[in-house]
Amino acid sequence: MSLFFISNEAGAAMAWRPSADIYRTPDGWVVKMELAGVRPEDINVLTSGSELFVSGVRRDRSVEEGWSHYSMEITYNRFERTIELPCNLDRASVSVEHHEGLLLVRVVLNQEEEQT
Amino acid sequence: MNQQIESLPVLPIKNSVLFPGLLMPLTAGRPTSIAAIDAALASEDKELLIITQRDTAVESPGAEDLYNIGSKAVVKRMMRRQDGAVNLIVQGVERVVLIKIEQTEPYIRARVRLAPVPEETNTEIEAMRRAILELSTRAIQLAQPNAPIEVTQMLAENEEPLQLTYLIGSVLGLPVEKEQGLLEAPSRLDALRLLHSYLLHELQVLELRNQINTQAQGEMERQQREYLLRQQLRAIQEELGETSPEQADAELMRKQMDEAQLPEEVRKEAERELARMEKLPQASPDYHVIRTYLEIILELPWAKTTEDNLDLSHARQVLDEDHFDLKDVKERILEHLGVLKLNPTANAPILCFVGPPGVGKTSLGQSIARSLGRKFERLALGGMHDEAELRGHRRTYIGAMPGRIIQAIRRAESNNPVLMLDEVDKLGRDFRGDPAAALLEVLDPAQNYTFRDNYLDLPFNLSKVFFITTANSLDTIPQPLLDRMEMLRLSGYSAEEKVEIARRYLIPRQLKESGLTDQQFILTDEALNHVIGRYTREAGVRQLERAIGSLTRRVALRFAEGDTTPVTVRLEDLAEMLGPERFSFELARKQLPAGVATGLAWTETGGDVLYIEATLLPSGRGLTLTGHLGEVMQESAKAAQSFIWAHAEQMGIDPNVVRRSGVHIHVPAGAIPKDGPSAGITMATALASIYTNMPVRSDTAMTGEITLTGLVLPIGGVKEKVLAARRAGVRRAILPKENQKDLRELPDNVRAEMEFIFAERVEDVLAAAIPDLAQRLTMPKAA
Repeated sequence: MSLFFISNEAGAAMAWRPSADIYRTPDGWVVKMELAGVRPEDINVLTSGSELFVSGVRRDRSVEEGWSHYSMEITYNRFERTIELPCNLDRASVSVEHHEGLLLVRVVLNQEEEQT
Repeated sequence: MNQQIESLPVLPIKNSVLFPGLLMPLTAGRPTSIAAIDAALASEDKELLIITQRDTAVESPGAEDLYNIGSKAVVKRMMRRQDGAVNLIVQGVERVVLIKIEQTEPYIRARVRLAPVPEETNTEIEAMRRAILELSTRAIQLAQPNAPIEVTQMLAENEEPLQLTYLIGSVLGLPVEKEQGLLEAPSRLDALRLLHSYLLHELQVLELRNQINTQAQGEMERQQREYLLRQQLRAIQEELGETSPEQADAELMRKQMDEAQLPEEVRKEAERELARMEKLPQASPDYHVIRTYLEIILELPWAKTTEDNLDLSHARQVLDEDHFDLKDVKERILEHLGVLKLNPTANAPILCFVGPPGVGKTSLGQSIARSLGRKFERLALGGMHDEAELRGHRRTYIGAMPGRIIQAIRRAESNNPVLMLDEVDKLGRDFRGDPAAALLEVLDPAQNYTFRDNYLDLPFNLSKVFFITTANSLDTIPQPLLDRMEMLRLSGYSAEEKVEIARRYLIPRQLKESGLTDQQFILTDEALNHVIGRYTREAGVRQLERAIGSLTRRVALRFAEGDTTPVTVRLEDLAEMLGPERFSFELARKQLPAGVATGLAWTETGGDVLYIEATLLPSGRGLTLTGHLGEVMQESAKAAQSFIWAHAEQMGIDPNVVRRSGVHIHVPAGAIPKDGPSAGITMATALASIYTNMPVRSDTAMTGEITLTGLVLPIGGVKEKVLAARRAGVRRAILPKENQKDLRELPDNVRAEMEFIFAERVEDVLAAAIPDLAQRLTMPKAA
């Protein structure tokens, strides 16, 4: 008997969703994503319109010769997360940084945009 | 991404198929499976191949035991159990085709090619998707009517048709082959079509199951509903003041009880039973037992009395209409009427009619009831041998009923009917009890006002009942019973009486039966006398009525055939109409040899003439008796012999003859049993005749009991005996002196025709019967 799993995002059923916090900042937005154990080069950040699209893959690299799993709760392999923000990201400046296992995406809106 | 080749550890699973995009919990215990899982977890991506086994019975499957297509999956969670098995949750990622098994030890590893279902979108797919959504919504409703609406909403939100197909396919609980078929579908459209057909089938099964469930439930609900409705009906009836059938029944009984004027004791008992009945449901067997009991109590005429018709002249007229003569009986009835007139509370008499068959005992009872204006009920006691039949069975027995007496009273519907107990002399008796003993209570006026029937178990007053019993003979009636009844004899009729009865009652009745009038059928006196004398021999008139009946039927037949001339039946017609004569008179023998004397006997069918023969034996001593004689008659013969021997000298008998020769007495007809003392003087006469060798007068018949000292004692049945003598042509009869009073029973013409000699002593008899001896007998008297 299969246990079904329903993803919130259509078409992304096979990947896992990292947890995310979203902050409002004086000059825009910060999206903080829990992506421990993922190498920066394995993460892709894309924007399209008001959507922020984060995807990648977590590979279990911290295993030494002779270890074997006794139990496993961390999810590996592909992840995907799409976050919609109430602004147009195409005209904003988006920067990505890694800090202690967290992915920080900074969105700074330009002045014009904010005025409108 | 297409056509990618990978090498993955293989985890074969049983009984289910993992679809891409779906999660599945698994437990792996087989060492090869655990090794495969370990290998997968050791990899950076935690990927393995989940593929379904064809045969669940195979424990370590090879390539040939696995399906060709499976799912690449990622291990999401994993935990080892104490027993070494591994629990894990895997999620299908992509469909793959198994290309080659690379190794089987320590785990299976295979080379696979990713084989995702080609993306395509067209209206047909969309149409199929909607059709499937609709079907699955119905299926969910059927299978799980209480399922939250969110489930169907969730399905509808799933816009990717393939995901929807996999999701629904996995929850339907399909057989593995069908699930695998769904996974192997080459295109989205094929997968959708396949699922559609599965869903249709599944839906049919569900609908059928539902139908069956509904039917079973419906049946149960119907019964429950009926019960509830009945309960409600009862409640409503109570609310409205109406009553249930049991109560209605009880109500009706109570009403009848008030009207029935029951005596106090009966009323109490009836109310007690009624209260018991009300507590029982109608279906209980006890309910009906009590009901029947109460019905009988209510039907009994506790206080219902018919009013007596005390008009004496009317009563006399009714009695005379129905019956000829029978003066004694009629007088007795009228006497009782007279008493009732003066004292209305007088106890009814208990009469017993004794007489031969066919003299009208039963019909007399009926006309008594008619003359008194009372109801008539008849109870045949003949052959009854169970006391319970008279007195009933106790109510504890199944099917118990009141006894015949109470039932007769119930039929009569009044407590003072004329109750005729027929054939009381023919009561039987065996181990079940003696019905005659039960009758003792019924027929005793001092006891029968509290007659207790076993079934009723309540006293019923029988003292107002006019009891009449009938019997052919008194010999078999027990003395205590005989004691309680007033005996009235109905003796046989003489030929003249029979003519009268035939003219007045029988011929009119038979004419009516045959539908003739008295002008159409005339029977001459001569012919009637001949019918009485030659075609019947009886004390009563039953055979006579039958004979007249066959004559009238003959004539009726002639009329029916069209010949309407009135018919006069003459003497010479009888032979043709009734056949040859059936009886010839036992005519008086013209001359009697010495040693033969004519006796008279009483039988149940009237009287008869019989000849007693005596003869001396050349040798031997003592007395031999033959002719089927009873004990009393034998003793009577010995008394006669002793008397003759004792007075031998006086009669001039040679003492040597007495001393030397024995004597034999025979009474014909030899086959018929005879008993009683009334042939005593006849036997003495026969003996005197043989010893003196002097013949007895042939025109003289005699009857009377003898004592050793030569006294002649009275006997019964004088009328029948005299009539028999006259019928035989004997015109002289010797009777005991004390029977002289009985002659008034005889019709006047008979009395006038006959010569009677009344004897006090045997010497008187001998003097009258043997003329030659008379001389010698009178001498000592003179001296």
